[in-house]
Amino acid sequence: MNCANPLDAGILGDYWAGALSQTEEETVEEHLLGCDECGERLLELGALADSVRKLARQGSLLMVVSDRFLQRIAAEGLHAREYTPPRGGNIACTVTADDDFLIGRLTADLSGAKQIDLSLCDERGIERLRLTDIPFNPRGGSVAFQQSITYAKAAPSETMIARLIARDDGGARSMLGEYTFHHTRTLPGPGT
Amino acid sequence: MEIEASDAELAARIGSGNDREAEAELLRRMAPRIRLYGLRHLRSEPAADDLMQQVLITTLEALRAGRLREPEKLVSFVLGTCRMTVLDLRRNAQRKERLLDRFGADLLKPAPAPVEDLDQELLARCVQGLKERERAVIVMTFYDEQTSADLANFLGVSEANVRVIRHRAIHQLRNCMEVGG
Repeated sequence: MNCANPLDAGILGDYWAGALSQTEEETVEEHLLGCDECGERLLELGALADSVRKLARQGSLLMVVSDRFLQRIAAEGLHAREYTPPRGGNIACTVTADDDFLIGRLTADLSGAKQIDLSLCDERGIERLRLTDIPFNPRGGSVAFQQSITYAKAAPSETMIARLIARDDGGARSMLGEYTFHHTRTLPGPGT
Repeated sequence: MEIEASDAELAARIGSGNDREAEAELLRRMAPRIRLYGLRHLRSEPAADDLMQQVLITTLEALRAGRLREPEKLVSFVLGTCRMTVLDLRRNAQRKERLLDRFGADLLKPAPAPVEDLDQELLARCVQGLKERERAVIVMTFYDEQTSADLANFLGVSEANVRVIRHRAIHQLRNCMEVGG
């Protein structure tokens, strides 16, 4: 196989994502109907996309999610357990065997922030993980993040503190909010 | 050294008479390409298989009957047939969904065909290793099929930026999967 004009990898990605204009899409499809080499590359991309989709449905990623993502979960009949602790306050939480996703919603005034980090700390306030430069809508008033449901179902009772930290253009940091989650394990097994 | 006939040459041979060898070769070549088109537009392996069969039958009938007068336009003909067939399949799928809703989806739906997976543990590590915005774009593109405009709104960036982030993320994911995390 020798394609004289192989399609750019980015174009293939946009094509699979449905992000090309109609004219661009037609050009790509004409090429693909005559080229096995580029078709093979697209097939590999499709397999990667399918696997990412399956991974996302497992609820095991730690990440910030959009409201639309949560709507999609619900539309698929999956159950998301969501907790919204008050800013500066705490909330008791757990997870059951029927839950597919675990969501923490952190409310704060995001309107002036240029960049926001989500810091996840243990019960002493010591940072264990930081999600840097998370996506957020300045007008949204909250950030929803997905905790791994796989981890939550296996985790013992514990406390986690989440902090939203804004960074301005000069690098100065300010705390937008702190939220404490008291997780009680209710599923049977070690750590109950 | 024997030079392989082009797709258009095979189409011309089929149109000019009973050439089973040319038919077999053209079907062998076109089948995976049409199926890929189906996967992209229908997002379902069984539906892509249906599309492939229908388009191949239509194409072969047209070639045998000599209706494709310019064999070099084979790709355009196949692409047009793909588009029309996708529309038909979508209409049928909607009709089928309505019937399944009416008579009980769980009883009537066939079991999904098994799909060969990538190493999910490795993929999870690679996806988790992306930057926050890259992970969001990849997951929301491939799971939720959000448009670049939706993602641009969520991320507070331009659509062009979303495309750049997606390109970078796909590239990094592939590299990560190749080297094993």
